Formats: sequence, C-alpha cells, structure tokens
Amino acid sequence: MEQNDIFAMVRGNLSTVIPELDADEITMDATLTDLGCNSIDRAEVVTMTMSDMGIHVPVMEFQEAGDIRSLVRLLARHTA
Amino acid sequence: MSAAANGAGVPVVVTGIGVACSIGVGVEPFAASLRAGRTGIRRQDGQVSAPLAGFDFAHAVGAVPGLPQELSRRALRKAGRSLPAVQAAVAAALQAWTGAGLPAADLPGSQVGVVVGGNNVTGAAAYRMAERFRGDPVAVPGRFALHVQDTDHVGVLSEILAITGEGYTVGGAAASGNLAVIHGARMVRSGAARACLVVGAMTELSPVDRQSYLALGAMADPAAAPDDDVLCRPFDTTRRGFVAGEGTAALLLEAEPSARARGVRPLARVAGEAMALSANSLADPSEEVEVAVMSTALARAGARPEQLDYVNTHGTASRLGDEVEAAALRRVLGRDSGAWVNATKALTGHCLCGAGAVEAVATVVQMTHGFVHPNPHLGMPLTGELRFAGRQAEPARIGLALSNGFGFGGLHSAVVFAGEVA
Repeated sequence: MEQNDIFAMVRGNLSTVIPELDADEITMDATLTDLGCNSIDRAEVVTMTMSDMGIHVPVMEFQEAGDIRSLVRLLARHTA
Repeated sequence: MSAAANGAGVPVVVTGIGVACSIGVGVEPFAASLRAGRTGIRRQDGQVSAPLAGFDFAHAVGAVPGLPQELSRRALRKAGRSLPAVQAAVAAALQAWTGAGLPAADLPGSQVGVVVGGNNVTGAAAYRMAERFRGDPVAVPGRFALHVQDTDHVGVLSEILAITGEGYTVGGAAASGNLAVIHGARMVRSGAARACLVVGAMTELSPVDRQSYLALGAMADPAAAPDDDVLCRPFDTTRRGFVAGEGTAALLLEAEPSARARGVRPLARVAGEAMALSANSLADPSEEVEVAVMSTALARAGARPEQLDYVNTHGTASRLGDEVEAAALRRVLGRDSGAWVNATKALTGHCLCGAGAVEAVATVVQMTHGFVHPNPHLGMPLTGELRFAGRQAEPARIGLALSNGFGFGGLHSAVVFAGEVA
C-alpha cells in the first residue's frame, strides 16, 4: 500500500475523531498531539487506520512514532 | 413542610432542570409535549418503544438557551465521541446548569458534586461493539475501555463542567434516577457540597436485554398485539407491561442559602426522601415497602398525606406493578385525597435508569407550569378510588408532590418536592 493512501486514511480518521480540525493542518510533519489529540484520540486514529488497512500492529510499536510521517511509515512496513 | 423535618441539615432546592427524551430535548419542548399528552411511543421494525429518535448532539447543545459559547465548544469537543447516552446526558446537564445560572456564578468546582443514577447502561453499546469485534477484533478502539463504564458519564460531565467535588454513579435498576436525586440531596444537605448535578442515565437496551424483559413477562410484547401501537396503558385494566423508552434528565440541586445568595429563584424544594429494600431479589414489588417509603418521605418532609396535590407514580403499565402501587397509594392517601395520580411513562415509555430523573423533571415542570399532564390511553382504570389524570391536561396548583421509583431486586424509593419556596 502506498504511503499516500495510508496518509489519506489517517487524515480521514483524524477528521472523524476531531471534526473541527482544519484539513490543511494535517500534514506529514504534524504530530497527532499538535493537532489536538489526547492519548485516547491518538489510539483511536491508529485503531481505525489499522482496521481500514486490515492489519494489526502491536500498540507498543507506536510509541516511537512521533509525527504523522513516521506513523505512516510504520503502518506501511506492516503491509508488505 | 418545614425545612428542619429532614433532620439538621441545609435545605435543598432545585435551581435547574434539563431533559432529553422521546417527547422533548429541552425543558420547554418537553413541557409542551407533557401538556399536549404527546406520546413518544411508536411501532417500528416490529418493536414498540419510545426512542430518542433523531437526536443530534451538536444540535441539542446549540439549542440550550443561554449556553455560553465556550461551554458549548468544550462540550462538543469533550463528548463528541461519547456514546449516545452520555451525549444525551450532557445535553440535559447543560440545560440544568445554564438554567440554574451557573455559568455566570462564582461557585468553585470543588464545592459541586455530580451523581449519576444508573447501572449497566452500556449494554447496547457493548452489544454493538461485540458485533464489530466478531468481524475484526482489532477494530475495537481503546476508547471503548472508557466508554463501556457507566462512570464515563461522571468523568465526561465533570470535565465539561469543571466539577471537582464528590462524584459517582448510584445503581438501583429502575429506581436509579430517584436514588440519584436522594444521594444528591443528601450530599447537599450534609454540607459535603453546595450544589450537586443529578442525572438519571439513559438506558439503551440491547436486543439481548429486550428479549430477557420479554421472557420475564415484564415488557409488553408487540407481537402479542399486532394492531396496538400504544401498548402502554398505565393503571388500565387492559395494560400489558412496560414499553421501553430512551431518555435522561438532570437536576441541579443546591443549598437554599447558596441559591438565595446568588439571587436565583428555586423551582422547587427537595422536601423529603426515602429508600428501602424489601429483602427480595426478584422482580415483584412490595406493597408494604411502597407504603413505607411514601409515608417516610412525607414524614421527613414534615407533611401529611392529605396535603399531597400530586403523585408521579412509578406506573410502568406492568400487570403486577401497577396493581401493587395502586393498592399502596390507596393506603397512603386514604379515601378523601384530592391528589392527582399520574403516569409519565404513558408518554415517555419506561426510561429505566433514567426514569426517576425524567419524572422528577416532569413533576417540577407540572408544579412550575401549573398543570397535570394527561394519561391519554387510560380508558378503564383498575380502581375508582384514585384520582387518575385523564385524557386531557388539567390546570392544577401543585404545592406538594411525591414521585415514586421502584426497581427489580426489592428497591423502593420516593421523593417529595415542595413548590412555592422562593
């Protein structure tokens, strides 16, 4: 799966979790925390995206993912 | 009705109310439906119930009269992902909070408590999540670990309203709403809080819950009466059992001196309350204990039964429950009572954990608006010795009212409200 496709999924799920978010703010360089996510919001965005992709990544692995770019790369690694 | 009758303690008044149920989201829409005798009960997909149909959280928050924008924004952000029951509770709580004038009040959060009446209110959500889990276990979000707890109500309400005093849920099955009022009143009366937000949680039944109530014979079976869309006839000889309703309500209880200092006119006083068990784990109510809680609540209010103007019965339209309650009421009220005997569940359905709070609000609304709402489908009353509300609303001056709440497992409760306290 292309990283662009995964990014689009993350962006869509972020908008579901935080509807008032301006879509232009959601960039590869932003962190979920910067965008206003608390820990529960972050976990939900990840869960929704994994479900969309049909994959399962252990929760511990996401602790390294700071910005959206590293989150997308981590998810992409598990789709090979 | 002396303030001291409940023992040494601070008199407790109701300074705000809110509601979200099948016949109204907001106090004035609810009052209009009560007056018109409009029922939220309908037949849909083979079921008869009173759903909170078309409830939209953002719309409900936007419709709260006088709600400050900051509080509105906060509510939408904090509860935007919450379960429907919590969103409905937030809407009702914001109505009560704003109606009580609290957004502008200088009342520290540490002096405010919150009590949510309800147990096992997340059955429908757990059922839906179980279906999702069977399709894809990974699709279960961590958020659900918070949402599945009844106490999520407490956390969300306290965060939105910055409440840092005491807070918890009180479980009492269908008596839960009344028990929340009782606990909240005692919290304020004891001085543990200056004000307490009391909520009766909305119970959204899962198909499993529904089936068990049907199997128990407590719930009216729509399949047994395919041509009857009303199905819910409290105190009628043809009643068939309860019809489930979705609804929640909130009351802001406050120490009378606090309300007076803020210059807020109370809607009513919580004059007396009583709760007792019947040492019985089954579903059947006890006439003796019903008589006991009603009598005790009145005595604690310093009132005599003949002073009662209005009774909001538990009145579910169950075969046994209504018969027992009517018998208990005849004993408490005596032969010459002029008290109206009413059944709000004819309009709202049985809101289960939320019922006591919805009916407390219905009672206060009828006191402040001066009417008794209809019991529109009561054709053949099971007794001629009680003054049941009829098919039309009646103008009424209600100075003293009693509201019953009974639950499976021998839980019996009654609350007395007194009007014209300002």
